[in-house]
This record gives sequence, C-alpha cells and structure tokens, in this order.
Amino acid sequence: MNKKKWFTTALSFVIATVLLAGCGDNKDAQGNDPQASAGKAVKLKLWGAVPVEAGPQAVVDAWNEANPDIEVEYIRYVNDDAGNLKLDTALMTGQDADLYINYTLTRLQKRVDAGVALDLASTGYDIDAQMGPDAAQWKINDKYYGLPTKKNMAFIWLNKKMLDEAGLPVPALDWTWSDLKEYAAKLKKDNVYGLLQHEASFTATIDGTIAGLGVTKADGTSNFDNDLWKQQFTMLHDMMFVDKSTPEYGEQLTSKMPVDTMFLKGEAAMLSAGEFIFRNANNLTEFPHDFQIAFATIPQVTADQKDYKYSGGLGDVLSVNAKSKNQEAAWKFAQWYADGGMLPMASGGRIPSSKSVDNKQAMDLLLKGVEDKYDVDSMNKVVFGQFESFQLSVPQQVLDARKEEYEKYFLNKQDIDATLASMAKRHNDLIKN
Amino acid sequence: MKRRSWIQKQGWIGYAFIMPNMLGILLFFIIPALFSFGLMFTDYQFANPNVSFTGLDNIERLFQDEQFYSAVRHTGIFLLSVPISLVIAFIVALVLNRSVYLKGLLRGMFFLPYISSGVAVAFVWMLLFQPSHGPINEVLRWIGIATPPGWFADSDTAMYAIDVVQIWFMLGYNMIIYLAALQEISAEQLEAARIDGASARTVTWKIVWPLVSPTTFLLLITGLIMTMKSFSLIQAITQGGPSGSTTILSLFVYKTAFSYYEMGYASAISWFLFAVILIITIIQWIGQKRWVHY
Amino acid sequence: MNDSAGKIKLPTTILMIVAGVFMILPFLWMISTSFQSPSEVFSKWLPSKLDWSSHERIWTGSYNFVPYYLNSVKISVISTIGAVFLSALAAYGFARIEFKGRDAMFLVYLSMMMIPPQVIFVPKFIMFNWMHIYNTHWALILPGMFSIFGVFMLRQFFMSVPKEITESAFLDGAGHFKIFFRLVLPLAKPALATFAIIDFSWHWNDYENALVFLTSPELYTIPLGLQNFILENNVDYNGMMAASSAAIIPMILIFLIGQKYIIQGISSSAVKG
Repeated sequence: MNKKKWFTTALSFVIATVLLAGCGDNKDAQGNDPQASAGKAVKLKLWGAVPVEAGPQAVVDAWNEANPDIEVEYIRYVNDDAGNLKLDTALMTGQDADLYINYTLTRLQKRVDAGVALDLASTGYDIDAQMGPDAAQWKINDKYYGLPTKKNMAFIWLNKKMLDEAGLPVPALDWTWSDLKEYAAKLKKDNVYGLLQHEASFTATIDGTIAGLGVTKADGTSNFDNDLWKQQFTMLHDMMFVDKSTPEYGEQLTSKMPVDTMFLKGEAAMLSAGEFIFRNANNLTEFPHDFQIAFATIPQVTADQKDYKYSGGLGDVLSVNAKSKNQEAAWKFAQWYADGGMLPMASGGRIPSSKSVDNKQAMDLLLKGVEDKYDVDSMNKVVFGQFESFQLSVPQQVLDARKEEYEKYFLNKQDIDATLASMAKRHNDLIKN
Repeated sequence: MKRRSWIQKQGWIGYAFIMPNMLGILLFFIIPALFSFGLMFTDYQFANPNVSFTGLDNIERLFQDEQFYSAVRHTGIFLLSVPISLVIAFIVALVLNRSVYLKGLLRGMFFLPYISSGVAVAFVWMLLFQPSHGPINEVLRWIGIATPPGWFADSDTAMYAIDVVQIWFMLGYNMIIYLAALQEISAEQLEAARIDGASARTVTWKIVWPLVSPTTFLLLITGLIMTMKSFSLIQAITQGGPSGSTTILSLFVYKTAFSYYEMGYASAISWFLFAVILIITIIQWIGQKRWVHY
Repeated sequence: MNDSAGKIKLPTTILMIVAGVFMILPFLWMISTSFQSPSEVFSKWLPSKLDWSSHERIWTGSYNFVPYYLNSVKISVISTIGAVFLSALAAYGFARIEFKGRDAMFLVYLSMMMIPPQVIFVPKFIMFNWMHIYNTHWALILPGMFSIFGVFMLRQFFMSVPKEITESAFLDGAGHFKIFFRLVLPLAKPALATFAIIDFSWHWNDYENALVFLTSPELYTIPLGLQNFILENNVDYNGMMAASSAAIIPMILIFLIGQKYIIQGISSSAVKG
C-alpha cells in the first residue's frame, strides 16, 4: 500500500507540473506579445529610473488620454549596474524597450556603440536652440543620440536658522573649500554636524576641478595627481578627523545615514546634495521643519582656481531605440515629453530644459505652498542661476579605482601623496588597456 | 560474475534515468558554458556588435591585474567560512536532533537566515556591526574591549565581518542537510555503541561523524562552490568596499561583466575560477576514499 | 547517553534559544523597522509607536505585491516540483546503476556547478530570445527544473541507502523503475523534503534571473518588487522591510510543512533496519 501511494504521488507530481505549466503558458501569452494586438494602437515602452508614483505615471496617463492611437507604458528600472543591464538586454530585443532615459554620458556612449540609440539629426528638431548651450555636452561624435530634457542641479543646502544663530551670512557664489571648512567648524554643535554630503555629491568638487583641468595631461597621462585634488582631499580629511565637523568616512559608510532626513531634522547645518532633496523638503507632514533653507554653490578648491566647473548642466537624456519598430511614434512622444509633457515631474525637482516650457510654471509646481520655507534671494542666485557646467565622461573602471584609492586615504590606510600617486597609476594602467 | 553481466545488460537503463535531466543541463549549462569559453578569447563588450578575436590577451591581462590578485586573497579569507560553518552546523544539528525541547521552533530559528532573501536582511548586519554605536561593538566595549574593531568601516577587518555574515547565512543550510542525514542513522547502531560503554563524545566523533561523512563531503564541495560563486550578500552589504577590501573573485566577475560590460575579460576570470574550483573538487574527490564511508 | 541527556536537556534548550535569538536578530530588526515612521529609521531598536502605513502600502496602491506573490508562487512551485522529480531520477541513475562513463559524466555535471552565472547569462539570453521565452515565466521555470545540486545531494543520500535492500529487490525480479519509485523514494523522504525546501527558497529569492529575463511589470516576482523601494537617490527602508517581512512568510510555511517529512523519516528508517 505504501508502494502504491508513492507511485500515485509521483504520478500526480508529473500531472500537476504539466497542468500548472500549461495554464501558466496561456497567461504569459496574453500578457506578453505586444505585436498580437497591433493594428489598433501602437504600443510603446518607455524606460526610466524615476519611481512610477513620482511623476512618470501622471505623464504617461496624460499622454495616453490625448493620444489613443499611441499607447505608452512606463517601465521603471533602477539606475544601478543590474538595472542598466536589464535595460540594455531589453534594448537588444527591439520590442521590449522603445524609449529610454539615460542618466550618464558613459551609459549613453555604450548604447550608441551597441547601435540602440537613434541619431536624432533626421528629426529636424533643433536641440541646440531648444535646450540651450549646455546640451552640447551630451553630443557623442558630434551627434545627438538623445534629448537632454531636464536641468541638473547640485548645491549646498543651508539651514538658514543655524547660519543666523552663528552670525554667518549666506556664502558668496565663488566661495571656496576653506570657507566651507570654516563654516562647518563654526556651525558644528553637539549632535549637529557642520556638513553632510550625499553620496552622489561626494566628488562634485573634484569632478568640477578635473573637468576644467582636463582628465589627462597634455602628454596623455593621468591628471589625477593634481595639486587641487590634494588640497580638497586634505581639507575634507581635516574636517573629518581634526575639526570633526563632518562624519568620519567609515561612520557615514556603515550607518547608512539618511542624510536628507538628518538635515531636515536639524542634525546638520549644511548638506551637499542635488535637487532631488526638494521632494522630501517640500513634504512637511513627514519631514516637518521650522527653518528656512538657503542655498550655496558647491565651492571651488581655491579662490584663484581657473576653469572650475559646476555640477549641473542638463540631464535625463531621452533616447529612441534604433531597433524599435515604432520609431516614428516614439519620436513623437519624445518631443512631446521634452517640450512640456514632463511637467508633472517638476514637483520632484525636475525642471524641464526646453525653452518651450514656461519656467514660471515649473517653479510653481516645485514650490507650491512651501515658498516661505526657502530663502528667495539665494535660491534665485544658486538654484536658478547660470553656471559653467560639465558632464563627466570617465569610464566606470576609472571612477571605481579612484574611489578605492581615496577611500584608503579617508580610512587612514594610506597617506595623501601615496593616494594621489596610486590613483594616477591605476588611471594610467586603464588608459593603456 | 553473474551480477556483472546483469549490470551490463541493464546499462541502457542508467541512461534512461539520467537522460531527462541531462538534456536540460546540456541546454542550460553546458552549451552556454562553451559559448562563454569562446568569449574568453575575444574582446566582446556586452551589447556591442563589434567583436574581434584577441587570442590570449585576456588571460595575459588577468595575470598582470593587481585587482585580480587581491580578489584571490579576499576569496581565500571568504572560504574560511565554509569549514567553520560546517562544524558549527554539525554540532547544532546533533543537539537539535535529540537533546532539546522546542525542536521545531529552534530548527526554524537557525534555518531562517538561509531561506530569507539574504539581501534585504543582510544589510542590517552593517548596522549591527556599526563601529561607534552598533550593538556588537557596544557589547564588546561592555566586556572591556576599549577599542573594538571597525568591522565594515575598516578595510582590514571588513572581510572577516563578511565571514561572520556568511557563516550566519550558511549555517541553516548545513544544519538542515545534516539533520536529514542524521535521520538515516538507525537507533540500533547508536544503541549498540552505547551498550559497549562508549561515551557520548566517542559516539559522536567515532560513530556518527563517519556515518554522515557522505553528507560532510557533499556540504564541503557544494559549500566551497556556492561560496566561491556567491556575491549577492557582499553586493548588498559593502558592494566590495571599503576600498575594494571585500571584492572577492565572483564580485570581480560581476563588476567586470555587468558594470564594465567586458564579457571577454569576465569569461577569462570565470574560467580561472572554474579551474581552481575544479582542482579543489578533484582533490577532494580523490581524497574522499580516505574518510568518506558510503 | 539517555541519562545524561535528560539532565542537560533544559540547559541545552536555553542555550540554543539564546543562540537562536542571535540568529534571528536581523529579522527582529527588520520587523521593527517596518513599523517605524520614515523619520526614525535606523535610529532606535523599537518604534516609538506602531506605524502600520508601510504594511498597508505594500498591499494597496502603486506598491501592490499581490501579483508579485502569485507570480513567485507559480514559478517556485513548478520549478521545485520539476527539480525534485528530475533530480531524484538522475541521482538514482548515478547512485545505483552502473553504466559506461558514469563517473566521468558525473564530474562534468559537478563542474557545471562551478561556472559563475554572470558569464553564461549572455548565451542564455540569446537562446531564450531565440526560443521566444525571453520575458515569459518560462525563462525562469525551464532552467529552474534542472538542478545539479539536487542530483548531487540526492545521489549522496541514495548511496547511503543500504545496498542489501535494493539487491534483494533485484533478486525478487523488480526493475529499476519499480525499485526507484517503491523503495528508494519512500526511504529518501527526509532528503527529498530537504532538497525541496532548499530549492524552493532559491527560486523564491532568485533575483538575478528574474531581473534580466523578465521586463514586463505584470510578470514580476517578489525580489523584483522589492526594487520598487530603491528610489532614485535613497531607499524607502520602511517599505522594503515591510515587504521583506511579508515575503518570508510563505517560506516559513514551506519549511514547517517540509519539516514534518524530515522528522517522519526517523520512523521510516527505523522500520527498514
């Protein structure tokens, strides 16, 4: 009897597998094949890294309402290695991604090499005129393979109340790291850091410096051992270990500090971060705060530094997949998106770059109801000011190697000269490869 | 003589048992593996249609790459977790097999880390190990260690902290397989030894340990292989940092393939990894005759 | 051993519970975090007041985990059933039947376990695209039904089934299929249940394959759903911890069910002797 039971069990396993697999198949077939229902409406897939509820859903809904013949679906990918790999794989199939947004020049470059970014010259859309002079930073081989749709911004967020208490004015636009260091030391209190840096802004100054100096020297070797970097690193190191006005590197690394939350809770007087902080800063229910926020530029290293460039320029570069079967429809959407369709995302800090969009309208969306939480003067100068910007085009390997080396310095495993020397050496090794 | 001929006659039936599985392995493992073997001799960049044959360049580059050597060192430290976890798991399995109350609950507690998706939970370890106010260092300070290690904040100790997490993670896996193996030992075998007057320790190490040796062999080999290949825990906790101190070979492959898209070079590293594991496995395979009793 | 075991049973239990609590400490932290409000994440052990909003969020609105659950269940169940059956079959072949090239073939099997999955993903993608199973659940289920580990593990267990049992069945005229289904499988219940639990947990938690091979959100599994909580420049830890807590529950159920069979094995192997 035991034997029989086991035979039946095994048999029912097989049957169950076949049945389950069978019904699963039907479900897939319905859910998947976009070509099956073609003829009625063109279906497009748009890939972006912004979470669905932070604007994209509203954008796509508005489009679908107005354009019943072209249906757009938004697919969110996480802008990390794995997420980009997922996108690049989907791009190769030609049918799983028609439009996509790039966030770095190096990723766009790879997609151009892979032949999945459409050259936009044929569209007749004048990107230079429409998006302004900063757009040209996104040219690859002197061609546009994507529409830079938004203004990128990075700056120092200041707790105006703490500044006032310490008797410090809102800093000038051309302030330096020694000024910042001084500010941080004066602003620091028990349980209040002088300065916090978001991971994304940690290298803003050294990147802006190398963008002006040139990544390589005239002879083609690495410029990573330049003196300005040395000064900036040393000052930051002092702030961590001498002034103790900013968290030690290891501390910040291991406590998963939510820097924006800390700043809004008044646990830091200054925060170096991008425009994405607006989303939480404007959310007074979850992040209540009683102080005004003022703004300063990300400081240059020295007062006499030439050619310092500011993090910013344009971003969110929308490309059309050159393997897509619906390129015309995709382009139609892309143009609409850039010329105002993206406005619902402005409340999260994404200010459109196209001159077809009324800047006033975007700013209203951004600051509606919270105008009194910001220092208007510095906001106009810094957030809406014009600065010379750059897009970094350094391979990921080089950035990773650089990070490994400066981490050794900030973890006190290597002195500053050895750090700069090995950064340059590893950079040179990678240039050769 | 009679038995042998019977086996030869029935030889085909062996293939019949293996065939369904073999087909799948061929399709989903062996063919892709051969493909990647070929990639090793090219400069293939993922998604990029321009590929050229580069001969042994990738292999040469491998042996000149300092990052590769440090990844090998870190992998060595990482593998320490395999035997440690194995021995702890054996003891835990023995205890949980008989001499406790609440067996089901306790087994569940020890197994939970393995069945949970390590990723979301793993980075809680970062906070547990946090140097200045994390609970682990607070306990260490409380028992009198004035300057406890920096763990993940220190490139000298980060790899060992990863080992702790890996042991924690693999313990349940080793334990449950040991538990299954212990079920196959009949009560009579143990009873006989006990009547002969053997102590509990003698029974454990002289009788039970040899009886579960096929399982130990299995766990050692699969443990080494899985540990060599695993990177998602490290990716979730440290992403290979600080300053590259937790970048093990498999993470190095991951970065090279998925972050830098250098599939050719990644294949070369993988096949090196493959060769190392294969050699270790063959040594164990030959060595098993000395200590594995079927 | 019986006498001493009785005396030390209570202290041992207490010791093991302490160790067990240490094992689940990260989970306790995870659950605690899921009930905290966004502004107090990671700042304390216990939430100042129970905030259910993260748990509500994952079952309603844009973070709806119900479809992810159903997809995960479907993929994990089918793959595990297939893997247990196919692995047991092959494991018996390797453990109990002698045929030409058996050991060499087994080593090839084992060696395939050693290939890092990152480098075979490109050929797999090309193959799946060609087979038209890219972006379908089949891309996870089909390869999921073939487990090298399962073959290896079950082979080790089948080999420790006493040879006398199978040999006496031969003499009674039973064929290999009969012996496999009626003798070996029942005896190997603990091993089968163990493998099923482990294999299920691999499918349940599989992130890499799902990430690369599924692109339509309606096909997503739980590990992909968890990615929703990684925002652009920060992480929604409360939501992630709430969803992760909920994701473990089915695994715990599977473990509890499977465990019954592991313990059941004690009686069946006692009978065999």
